[in-house]
Amino acid sequence: MKILRVTSLQKAYGAVEATRNLSLAVEAGHIHALIGPNGAGKTTLVNQLTGDILPDGGTIQFHGHDITRLKPWRRARLGLARSYQITSIFPQLTVAENFALAILAGHRHNFRFWRPALSAHRVRELLPEALARFDLNASAGRPAGHLSHGEKRQLEVGMTLVGKPRLLILDEPMAGMGPGGTVELTKMIRQLQGKLTILLVEHDMKVVFNLADMVTVLVNGENIATGPPDEIRANPLVRTAYLGEEN
Amino acid sequence: MLLLFEQFLNGLQFGITLFLLSAGLTLVFGIMQVINLAHGSFYMIGAYVGAAVTAATGSFLLGLLAALPAAGLFGMAVEWLVLRHLYQRDHLDQVLATFGLIMFCNELVRIIWGRQPLFMDVPPWLAGNVEIVDGLLYPVYRLAVIATGLAVALLLWFLFTRTRLGMQIRAGASNREMVAALGVDISLLYTLVFGLGALLAGLAGVMAGPILAVESGMGESILILTFVVIVIGGIGSIKGAVIGALLVGLVDTLGRAFLPVLFRLLFASATADAAAASLSSMAIYILMATVLIWRPRGLCPVQSA
Amino acid sequence: MTRRLLTLLAGALFFALLPLFATFFGEPYLISLFTRILIYALAAVSLDLLLGYGGLISLGHAAYLGIGAYVVGILHQHQSEGMPLLSWPILVQGSDNALLVWPAAVLVAAFFALAIGALCLRTRGMHFIMITLAFAQMLYFFFLSLEKYGGDDGLSLYARNRLPGIDLGDSLHFYYVCLALLALFLLLAIRLSRSRFGLVLQGARENDRRAKMLGINTYWYKLACFVLAGGGAGLAGALLANQTEFVSPGLLHWTMSGELMVMVLLGGLGSLYGPVAGAAVFLLLEEGLAMYTEHWMVYMGPILVLVVIFAKRGLFGAIAGTARAE
Repeated sequence: MKILRVTSLQKAYGAVEATRNLSLAVEAGHIHALIGPNGAGKTTLVNQLTGDILPDGGTIQFHGHDITRLKPWRRARLGLARSYQITSIFPQLTVAENFALAILAGHRHNFRFWRPALSAHRVRELLPEALARFDLNASAGRPAGHLSHGEKRQLEVGMTLVGKPRLLILDEPMAGMGPGGTVELTKMIRQLQGKLTILLVEHDMKVVFNLADMVTVLVNGENIATGPPDEIRANPLVRTAYLGEEN
Repeated sequence: MLLLFEQFLNGLQFGITLFLLSAGLTLVFGIMQVINLAHGSFYMIGAYVGAAVTAATGSFLLGLLAALPAAGLFGMAVEWLVLRHLYQRDHLDQVLATFGLIMFCNELVRIIWGRQPLFMDVPPWLAGNVEIVDGLLYPVYRLAVIATGLAVALLLWFLFTRTRLGMQIRAGASNREMVAALGVDISLLYTLVFGLGALLAGLAGVMAGPILAVESGMGESILILTFVVIVIGGIGSIKGAVIGALLVGLVDTLGRAFLPVLFRLLFASATADAAAASLSSMAIYILMATVLIWRPRGLCPVQSA
Repeated sequence: MTRRLLTLLAGALFFALLPLFATFFGEPYLISLFTRILIYALAAVSLDLLLGYGGLISLGHAAYLGIGAYVVGILHQHQSEGMPLLSWPILVQGSDNALLVWPAAVLVAAFFALAIGALCLRTRGMHFIMITLAFAQMLYFFFLSLEKYGGDDGLSLYARNRLPGIDLGDSLHFYYVCLALLALFLLLAIRLSRSRFGLVLQGARENDRRAKMLGINTYWYKLACFVLAGGGAGLAGALLANQTEFVSPGLLHWTMSGELMVMVLLGGLGSLYGPVAGAAVFLLLEEGLAMYTEHWMVYMGPILVLVVIFAKRGLFGAIAGTARAE
């Protein structure tokens, strides 16, 4: 089953075509990697998937819904989650509050003015597990802005996962990480394999070929090849257009 | 018909005063991303210095020549002493600090020039009326204001499209980091833009002197209209400031002149007067709300990176 | 006992006992001054909900204060003239009963906040500041041109509202009514700030894009905050109209919005108790400076600039420490 299906997507900024007639399908349960040189239009594509920008033409279908023109928060409610290239958390709220917000986010019933948020039933149920799973127990009461870079990253990914999304878009999760962090994160992503669908936008080729079930190569806003890692590695078109540049 | 034309000219003249204020302010907002409530104070200082020097020397030109640098330098001093420290802060701090500046300036002019408003005479060489078309006498002074405003608009257009400094300023409005990366001395550019904006506000102040009373607090009522202009035109856009200022000037003036007449045709006179008075004083805000529903970022939004 | 709790207790004790001291030392004037402080504190706390929790910089908060006051004034005028305010589609009579008039003031102010907020929240940043200011100015001009209700001369009340069992005309009774309402509103605001609603609101303030990407439609939360704050200011306006027995467009003037903002900042943004201290300091400073010079604003202005540049946490933060542990 395809959980995400992009058909003939178009987006232009003036004369620059950032997305050209792009089609793409992601199989449920896969780790689907999106690679391409700088300026290939990866972030533009991701922003159209999440609704931060709207395409000029084409459609995006997610889990049986046409989401092409839906607001970002509606897409999130349908189970589309995103982790940002630049760590995006709530710096002045505590770690526990960051998690609580993510846990409560999917619910319509947040117009509750009286009871403390942290004692909400769902929060009490899910918060300890989340803190333990992302190794942030010791920092629960600290403002998230005071965490180390690695911890912020973990919090960010944790917030994205705690809402139990169907599709997780990881936008360059390894950016700015040391070698140790990369190994940790790779391990974490591997643990998720099969449990949910992941669209992984990544620069690091080793990580991509290591993890992905399927790879799509984007050049100049076009999907020039999609296939299993081995096939992509061998594809002459990809080698000249992309891998050739890297080496 | 003549009345309509006369009111149209009045609206144009008011719009041009608003343009002089909003041009500088919209640049400050757009380039420095700083909100400045004290812009009206530059207008007031221009008017006061102009009125005082004119009264002392008897020459309107000398008054004008004193007021422009006074407002410009005062603006640069404000930028240097206060706003420079607030560029990295959030808008709330900027609002509060410039609110403090307004309190200070309004009280300062009261201390220096007293609580009574000053009145400025129209200079003799601009006094009198001229017959523009058959049967319409229009004050020469107001025509001079319109002409000056148009000349300044042209000058600004030339500055922004044809000179290096202007290009840097425009580039700064859409992408600050880029300009800094190109090796432009940003803090000098900021001070200059700020000074230019204050100078234009001062010019508007002197020119308004013979038309309105020069009094403490005169800057704020016009400041809020300037905000309406900028919201309608779009932050950081000179073109937007021109369009917004003319729209606001015309709608306000024509609304005040003709709504009562219009309402009297439709309703009983007592109700008509009350309704027209309310509506004409709110007309420009209704205009703003309409633009806002239609285009939340103004008529000429500046693309910012 | 923490420093924060001690500061709060001391403050509460001070406000509760103040009338006793004032009477004992024969300075009844102090009671009316501090009643004014309590009322402005209520308005400042409501503004702090917007500024400190919603991150919404409204420069038009005085509008709701003014609307609350005008509801009291207009209903009073119709009551004393014996003319109904509305005869169609429903009959609305004037009233002097605080139990009717004050809730009406809150509701009407909240309604205006809903309409204005719905429009203003389509924008953000500097646009938002300027638009809230412009709409408040529009209402100012509206009341200025409202000849039926006094126009720029304002409306005088012949007496304060009536409240069963309490004599609002008595300064002591009125003081404690204001204190109770302020305490009630503070309690509501504090609970609110820690509730689910408050958490979502703070999330939207901190990182609107992220909150949306978690699946939260932040617009409605901000609008709800705007409405709540408007209602709070409306209540303060109703009290103010009762205290001064006078209502004028000056209440809606933008300088009033600015002063409310100054009170919040002086006290400490986002601390809710802070604005109470801020209101007290601002009004006392105004009284104090005004005693020495009629040009008190020439000193207040620079003080404000210095506080903004150098003292970020505000007074409450400096005395009681920040709420969140470092």
